[in-house]
Amino acid sequence: MGSKDDLKAMDEDLFTVIIGGQAGQGVKKAGEAVSKFFLEKGRYVFEMDDYQSLIRGGHNFASVSSSTEELFSHHMGADVVVNLDKTSYEMHKEDLTPDGLNFYNSDEIENGDGIGLPLTSMSKEFQRPKLILGVAGISILAAVVGEDKDSLVSLVNSVYPRGKEDNTAFSEMVYDEVVDKVESTLDLKEGDCRNRMFPGNHVIAMGAASAGLDIYFAYPMTPASSILHFYASHGDKLGVTAVHPESEIAVANMAIGATIAGARSMVGTSGGGFALMAEAFSLAGMVESPVLFVLSSRPGPATGVPTYTEQGDLGFALHQGHGDFPRIVASPGDMEEAFYLTADMLSLLWKYQTPGIVLTEKHLSESSMCMDVDPSKVRTVEPRMHEEDTGYKRYLFTEDGVSPLKFPPSKEAIKWNGEEHDEYGITTSRSEEIAAMHEKRHKKEVVIIEDLKDRHTVNVYGSGENVIFTYGSTTLSVREALRCSGIEAKVVQPIYLKPLPTWELKKHVNDRSIVVEQSVAQQFSTLLEDKIGLEPTSVIKRYDGRPFDPMELAEKIEEAIK
Amino acid sequence: MSDDLDTGAENTWCTGCGNFGILAAVKKAVKKLEENGLSKENLVISTGIGCHGKIFDYLNLSGIYSLHGREVASAEGIKLGNPKLKVVAFGGDGDCYGEGLAHLLFAAKRNMDITVIVHNNGAYALTTGQASPTSPKGFKGPATPKGSVERPIEPLTLLLSAGATFVARGYAGRVDHLSKLIVEGVKHPGFAHIDVLQPSVVFTDYYDEYNELVKKLEEPEETISKAMQLAIKTDVLPIGIFYREEAPVYHEELMGDMNPVKDRYKREKRIELIEDMLGVE
Repeated sequence: MGSKDDLKAMDEDLFTVIIGGQAGQGVKKAGEAVSKFFLEKGRYVFEMDDYQSLIRGGHNFASVSSSTEELFSHHMGADVVVNLDKTSYEMHKEDLTPDGLNFYNSDEIENGDGIGLPLTSMSKEFQRPKLILGVAGISILAAVVGEDKDSLVSLVNSVYPRGKEDNTAFSEMVYDEVVDKVESTLDLKEGDCRNRMFPGNHVIAMGAASAGLDIYFAYPMTPASSILHFYASHGDKLGVTAVHPESEIAVANMAIGATIAGARSMVGTSGGGFALMAEAFSLAGMVESPVLFVLSSRPGPATGVPTYTEQGDLGFALHQGHGDFPRIVASPGDMEEAFYLTADMLSLLWKYQTPGIVLTEKHLSESSMCMDVDPSKVRTVEPRMHEEDTGYKRYLFTEDGVSPLKFPPSKEAIKWNGEEHDEYGITTSRSEEIAAMHEKRHKKEVVIIEDLKDRHTVNVYGSGENVIFTYGSTTLSVREALRCSGIEAKVVQPIYLKPLPTWELKKHVNDRSIVVEQSVAQQFSTLLEDKIGLEPTSVIKRYDGRPFDPMELAEKIEEAIK
Repeated sequence: MSDDLDTGAENTWCTGCGNFGILAAVKKAVKKLEENGLSKENLVISTGIGCHGKIFDYLNLSGIYSLHGREVASAEGIKLGNPKLKVVAFGGDGDCYGEGLAHLLFAAKRNMDITVIVHNNGAYALTTGQASPTSPKGFKGPATPKGSVERPIEPLTLLLSAGATFVARGYAGRVDHLSKLIVEGVKHPGFAHIDVLQPSVVFTDYYDEYNELVKKLEEPEETISKAMQLAIKTDVLPIGIFYREEAPVYHEELMGDMNPVKDRYKREKRIELIEDMLGVE
């Protein structure tokens, strides 16, 4: 456990809690309660929920890390582990810091390592004994760090509004039991963080809403579904309509239809659903419809592993849809960027009338962290419109390839055409018209690159001779690894992946470069090799569905840059 | 013959094709609807891919030439974007009853307020005459040289089961009658389906048979089951409105009277709401 010693050395205030149990035991809610507890102490928080694709049973856990400093990832080395069942105990035995406390359910394990609590028998006297088990998580933590009982009860009541009496009684019972069994309390410093924390998908949803999203279309697919749920619950208030049609094919085609009416539309899915959208994505390229696609990756191929994380869809996103047409692909490296980038993407797509993708992963979509954004900083760009009543041509040739938009009702016909067409939008197979229209669409690609050159397209964190190229949510793991290990390196993260900001990236290429990504085929590294001639000395990869543990990653980075 | 519904695009349907009858009926219907106060500015169309889809190029109306089988989904998107618009989707039998059948049934199921007109010629004509979902068993085409071994589907019974609130059959050889069906379909508040018997002079020249068998219906049936009985008749081919009922429409159930493009919040309001949600002070 050497790495976990190092970790303690670098951030004394880091404090991690892992709560594990079966689906249906309220593990996720327990994680939420712990996060809230830390937030109320003014600490920065990162919560990662690990769960399986099932409704009851199996093994779920929440890892909640917090510090008085800004942090970028959960950790798998915990100060307190709460195991609600036997499986959890067996899985998390190794996930302890040297001074960490391991709590287990003594009704399921005899003479385990750590502190046994008869959680099942204690819960028996309550109405919903299984569901109430999760309340043990926050109750144990409160006792361990010497929180007073009243504060615990008020927190429990705010996180678990149903069955207050039972929850309060169970919570107090667990708290007393822990105080009896633990000799001294662990130190937990208060911080000055005033931020709230949000899951990545909610941040993406709020970003798009800030930039004027009108309709969100989606078919449920983990890990993108919570965007749909967000708009379904809050859409009325925000003026965003949520629509759940029969299939991803319907989703994408409806979204294109809505843009024809002038509505700003977004869709969200994961790899399998995005595959079903391939033909519509190409249609959006052809008719020049600015639909924003959110692709939240999970391990593939095919159904893969529904509730875990991976970066195996990069190549897919870059090449989605048949035929030649411009697209913009971008991937946020943290929650704040997810907010602004989704908003920017919506505006960019309407400016250039072409489809685009916000590429992210389960790790960002479903993890929560503290963030500080200012919605008034969201830039919105109004699309180029044809204001006159006459002379309208949907695909008017212009210098930059962007034709003015017009929406019905309109005196003149506005013809969006998925077959090759002339400027009016009437079908053609004439050679000179085919070539001219290809060139018109291609011009936009050139103009988009020029536009991106004036934007912030690459994040650079830290400095040093050693350069780490990474992207997407893996950026979080890399930043946390460096923060906690003290390794000196420069992190280079392209925000835009197509067009790839080669002009920026090339500045950072040297012979001490490594790549960190979550793809067995190292798709990101291959992209950088193709586009900027990067020859990394090492590619650190993880492809078991789990995000990197920052300290394990730090060890690998250290090894790679020796 | 040129009018303000013409685009001037060269018409490449075969001489005598049933599609001409449908195009004439649509134009007549648009004129009629304009007389009734529905400006064509508010009429938006979508088409799939196949011979029927060419109608996109021949009608000077706004809309989208969509993908094969996706015209219904496109139409639904347009309607949801701006519910004030009247949207008509044109499909073929291969397109609407094959590739895109799910969209059609779900649009009916949710009573989406659009009109679907299917140019049902019983063959994949544009791709040289393969058997379509409505081709009879034994139909010979380049992909079924020994005759199709599949039985055809009967579209109207399918649509009735799916919950369509307006179900009609027209015939391309009865232009005035068809135009009236289209007017009624567009005026119907909810999902309107019009299946059109459309002979293809090259692959399915059924004009003589249709001329003999079609029989105009006086009134819609009162129940779905009676309408279904009528739909499966083969000794005569009833044309007209089989069934009609009023039911809540999808966009009103979902959004009330909100119109996404007309009632869009101003930027300041959006920002304020998000700030509130984020707890920004």
